[in-house]
Amino acid sequence: MTADPRGRRIAVVADSRLEALLPELRASGFGAIQLPPAGLEPEVASAWLDQVAEHVAEFLRHDYEVVLADDGASEGELRARLAELGAPPLCRYAGMQA
Amino acid sequence: MARVAFIAHCLLNQNAKVEGGALRPAVWEPVLDLLREHRYAIRQMPCPELAYGGARRFWGVREQFDTPLFRRHCRRLARLVAAVMAQHVDADDEVVLIGIDSSPTMGVEFTCSSPTWSGRPDIGEDDSTLIAESGIFVEELEAALAERGLPLPRRTGIRHWFPDYDPDEERQRLEALLA
Repeated sequence: MTADPRGRRIAVVADSRLEALLPELRASGFGAIQLPPAGLEPEVASAWLDQVAEHVAEFLRHDYEVVLADDGASEGELRARLAELGAPPLCRYAGMQA
Repeated sequence: MARVAFIAHCLLNQNAKVEGGALRPAVWEPVLDLLREHRYAIRQMPCPELAYGGARRFWGVREQFDTPLFRRHCRRLARLVAAVMAQHVDADDEVVLIGIDSSPTMGVEFTCSSPTWSGRPDIGEDDSTLIAESGIFVEELEAALAERGLPLPRRTGIRHWFPDYDPDEERQRLEALLA
């Protein structure tokens, strides 16, 4: 193993915005967690959000910076899942100036 | 027909790696660049190790992870991935899988193994070797897909932790998968 260069910054990103945002996320040192894409069956999308919330809560527990770059489709449900895990709502991704 | 790549979580989020295991600040660019070049949509799979062992876990070999509880955890996540894959297969999309060779969990063609090494990584000599088997999650994904009558898609694994890692060989292997 080597010195670990991880940025400790993560953006939770709507699938509809992922491709467009990836270049600037990379440049800003953000890893990404993908929100469920449109068109999934409801129970599948729900299970996808469950695992996203579990990952996010774990990163927050260790003081990683985690922000949300949503498209409005999942924000409410994600907030509820995070609350169930005792995690706060995410701040919005502010773009390259962050 | 769309092209869809199911990729290991850490390829899009290096923060999910074991402590000491990240090789980039954010993402593993070589794969993402090729996916974009070949017009593949990304489907990021969960990281079973992060969800189970946490962000401060250390690394291990396949034998350490191969427990009934970890397999149950992987099975839950694999069923989610299989359900998403099945929708793409039903739509006649072209589906590929990119894991992490050497990983005890996300290995596709190679995983790490030792009959003896375990515990804290600074105790004892790491005598683990790479063996030609899949990781635990990929095995459970194969089983979850089989429940749906589906095979694992065409696939390969990223080998950036192999001692003789060759970026050119990896690029060629990925190009062959994605072409």
